[in-house]
Amino acid sequence: MKKFNILFALVMGAVSFTSCMDEDWRTPENIIDNPPYGNNDIAVYSDETAQQYNQKVITIAQLKAQYASVILGNKCEEIKDDVQLQVVINGNDQGGNIYKQLSVQDATGGIIVGINQTDQFAFMPTNQKILINLKGAYIGGYGNMAQIGTLYNGGIGRMESNDWESRMRLLTQAESADSVSAVADTIDFDGSIPKEQLCGRIVRLKDVTISGDGTQTLAPDDGSVPLTSNCANRKITGAKGSTDIVLRTSTFSDFASRAIPSGEVTIYGVCTSYRNTFQILMRTNSDMIEQ
Amino acid sequence: MTKKLQLLALALLAAPQLFAQSSKSAETDSIPNDHEDMDFTMTESQLGEDDDMTNDVIQVGSSSNVYTSNINYTWSAARFKFRALDNKYNDVYINGMQVNNAENGRFQFSNIGGINDATRNRDAVNPFEDNTFSMSSLGGSANYDFRAGNMSAGQKITLSGCNRNYTLRAMYSYGSGWTKKGWAVFGTIGYRWANMNTAYVDGTFYNSLSYFLAIQKKWGEKHMLNLATWANPTERAQQGASTDEAYWLANDRQYNPYWGYQEGKKRASRIINDFAPSVLLTWDFKIKDNIKMVTSAFFKYQKYSSSKLNYNGTNPAPDYWKSFPSYYYDVWDTGTGDKDYDGWLDAYNYWTSGTAARQIKFDNLYFANTQLNKSGSDAIYYIQNRHNDQMTLGLSSNFNWNIDQTSKLSAGIQLNTNKGYHYQTMNDLLGGEFFHNVNTYAIGTYADTDPRVQYDLNHPNQRIYVGDRFGYDYDINVQKFNAYAQYSKDKGISHSFITGRIGGTRMWRDGHMRNGLFADNSYGKSGVGGFLDGGFKMGSTLNLSKGHSVTMGVGMEAKAPHAKDAFINPEMCNDFVINLRNQKLVSAELEYAINNSWLRLNLNGYFYHSYHGTEWQCYFDDNEASFTYVSMSNITKNAYGVELGAKFKITSSIDIVALGTYSDNKYVGETDVNYMLSNKGTVEYSRCYMDGVREGGTPLAAASLALNYRIKGWFLNLTGNYYDRIYLSATPVTRLESVYELWQKNNYRDAYIDNNGRYRCDNVNQARGDGGFMLDASIGKQFRVAKRPLSVNLQLCNITNNRGITTGGYEQSRSNYSVAANGTISGRTYNFEKNPKKYYAQGFNFMLNVSYRF
Repeated sequence: MKKFNILFALVMGAVSFTSCMDEDWRTPENIIDNPPYGNNDIAVYSDETAQQYNQKVITIAQLKAQYASVILGNKCEEIKDDVQLQVVINGNDQGGNIYKQLSVQDATGGIIVGINQTDQFAFMPTNQKILINLKGAYIGGYGNMAQIGTLYNGGIGRMESNDWESRMRLLTQAESADSVSAVADTIDFDGSIPKEQLCGRIVRLKDVTISGDGTQTLAPDDGSVPLTSNCANRKITGAKGSTDIVLRTSTFSDFASRAIPSGEVTIYGVCTSYRNTFQILMRTNSDMIEQ
Repeated sequence: MTKKLQLLALALLAAPQLFAQSSKSAETDSIPNDHEDMDFTMTESQLGEDDDMTNDVIQVGSSSNVYTSNINYTWSAARFKFRALDNKYNDVYINGMQVNNAENGRFQFSNIGGINDATRNRDAVNPFEDNTFSMSSLGGSANYDFRAGNMSAGQKITLSGCNRNYTLRAMYSYGSGWTKKGWAVFGTIGYRWANMNTAYVDGTFYNSLSYFLAIQKKWGEKHMLNLATWANPTERAQQGASTDEAYWLANDRQYNPYWGYQEGKKRASRIINDFAPSVLLTWDFKIKDNIKMVTSAFFKYQKYSSSKLNYNGTNPAPDYWKSFPSYYYDVWDTGTGDKDYDGWLDAYNYWTSGTAARQIKFDNLYFANTQLNKSGSDAIYYIQNRHNDQMTLGLSSNFNWNIDQTSKLSAGIQLNTNKGYHYQTMNDLLGGEFFHNVNTYAIGTYADTDPRVQYDLNHPNQRIYVGDRFGYDYDINVQKFNAYAQYSKDKGISHSFITGRIGGTRMWRDGHMRNGLFADNSYGKSGVGGFLDGGFKMGSTLNLSKGHSVTMGVGMEAKAPHAKDAFINPEMCNDFVINLRNQKLVSAELEYAINNSWLRLNLNGYFYHSYHGTEWQCYFDDNEASFTYVSMSNITKNAYGVELGAKFKITSSIDIVALGTYSDNKYVGETDVNYMLSNKGTVEYSRCYMDGVREGGTPLAAASLALNYRIKGWFLNLTGNYYDRIYLSATPVTRLESVYELWQKNNYRDAYIDNNGRYRCDNVNQARGDGGFMLDASIGKQFRVAKRPLSVNLQLCNITNNRGITTGGYEQSRSNYSVAANGTISGRTYNFEKNPKKYYAQGFNFMLNVSYRF
């Protein structure tokens, strides 16, 4: 019996002492300073008065101006200069509407970057400041709109994700505060502003209506609306300065099934264009506010 | 005088069983004691440990048959399933109480793992063997004896080292034997351990404590009470199946995609936590010398959870199909895919660049979530825990009456009530702040503001933090009643028996979340499903002259469906599957046996036919971006095979054991299929052409030849095994008529419309695994240290290091094409049908056992 008591004590002791093997894991500390995404070796130039800054950092407006003929001609060209953009992310694939593209802007304008990667929002949230090394990347026009990417069938296409990661750097909070000048201000849409200044930026369309018969949703895939690249275009009326403007929504977006509001709405979105048509891309469902 | 006569009668009546057991003890007495242990040490770490794995093993072991008494141990490395049967066809009893899981019918052998000294007393019977506790099931039955008084007295320490699921094992047991005051106690405690660096499979660990305590009291000759309690709190990391391409790239068929690095440290993503404390109270009542009653009450409360890395975005699995070289280049030359050699090479170079590249990158997942925190978004990567907790209460009473010298009657009843708690909790948000309890699969089909996307309308848009329940939360209740009676009679050269069984089952679901897709039938109680079932078995042995005998048996049974298969989508709603009814089983067996001084031989042929079966499974359908819940009903299966077991006694110290089987277990004809998509919530009907599909995850043909040599306390064994005809679990996805309709309309894979107007396709073949040869050896010796026995045993398995034998796996439930909104399909470069997920047998492995009795 004594042995049994010993055994019993042994069991109880063992039960209480046996510890968990799976650790109590914590968020790795070094990911804040050394993001495991992008290329942390890219140098950051933040002193706008320094000569090196002026040699290396260009604005989106400068880039678009330099390649204006390529863009308008829907051609594609490799960027040979060792230059860098300092931009802030204003649109990504979070709502499933933008697909394998990232939209960025600085104080002078915005531009689309094509990257062959899904769930970009997980690493590149909106308002994140980034650097992009342009040397070796391609710039071109699609539907006369500027896009950064790679050469694909003679035109501009999406670059592979490892190419993208090697030429971009996510700026940490501290680095962003260090006067990197990118801003993500929203401007009110005005169709009379030149397209190259509007496209790639976040615009606001106040008090506009979206065409629909009151029963339709934004992007049904039941054949009731013609689709281009799985996207439905819904005409926007009441936009300042343009009548050739649509709200473009993917059938894969989280808000594809949202009923088209019958009244006036305010829309925020990435301004893009295809030839003469403005195409507004909402990022998430909250980009459309019903009144 | 009468008492002596009765004793004699009892002894005679018990003779068949004694014979059955003595043949085993005769075998074990002459060899070191540890050999009796091997059957269990060999297999316990592989046995039915995963609720969700298809390759659960079935334990038969009737010692009356050379084949069944050897196959568990001999063929465990290939995960051989007796008669290609699911574990649910093997009934396991403890002290007369059936302890199979009420929801899925399976017995989780790991619940009694690590307490080897307590599980040694087992009465295992074959499907057509009469016994004292049950109507034996299709895959046989076993009754463990957990009485303290029947355990061996004394102390024993066992230490083991091996390179398997665990690395080290230590066990201690103590048995008092009966004291003069009529008490007996027995206890054992064990610990099994392996960490991420020592376990055979990279990225797994094993941390398991086991205990067993029993105390028994005798009052006079008539009454005994035994209280036994046991459990084995276990924490262990799982291994995942992957494709041959992944094994090739990793140059390792034990490549495990379920782990990764976090800050340079190994972390497992799938961890099982299992703790099932059980208590069994048994009252033995000897009413008369020839009438006995055993009554048991059983209580078990199980906490079981399995973790899983989940995502709401790109799949972070390192072996996600889009990461493979063959995603870029059509290596199968099917003509539909890309020939992007640069892409292939990039992926190849990446996979082969180092271990970290082909494992989960936890740092990246944390980073993504912390980035999302900046915009106040939900975590997209998280580790969830799926819980299958259970509370079981059972009451059984078993009655055995030896009527006279030639006839016996046994009967028993059992009542069970079982409540299964199924829910999902947040284990780790991986740096994220929160997660919303919404059905992200339904978003898109419905706007994210639509109430139908809510997992719980009672708490819409609930923010989920670590520890919170989300996704689903429901109970499954099962109540069972079972009664059996068995009569056996010896007459002339014959021994015959007949057994009948009748049972009742009630089951219902109780939902704790009001799912948006099923607002009216997900919260609260479902209707109650009731089933009345039963059947009979009968058999007869004719003892011909000179040790020859012939045994035959037939049985018919209606078996109530299991709750696991009964609900169309238990995670979301209360609906039962359509066409749920009792499964019908017809079985027959014929055996020829020889038993003489130099040969014991059994040659068995069996057949069984089942119909009205129901099976349920769920998989991710990428064309619908949704989980699909599939209920197959009206399933017909045929199985048949031959089994040979022969033991030749060459000399008193040498014997040879030959084992062999060739069998089949196939679906017959077509089955009805009702499936539901988790993003819509509607049920669709189709047919599934399962005709000819075989039971997966077991060799359907196996043979072995063993040489045993015993001399002067030494024991040597050399066994060669050959396995063949291994199939992988089939998916319904490539066998659905609704899929063939899509194919036919796209002129794909020669799908056509038959004379009855049905869509068909004839060129879909079930994926197969590879068999092969495996050589095992064992050497043991018993020493005496301080006049007590010390046994040393070394097992060497798979000596030729054959790492190419498939032990299980499954066809992927994804398609080789994508479907556009207008119904046209376009082929993918990656070929899912040619890339089934597989498990392979371990290469060379060993186990050293040292035990000391004192």
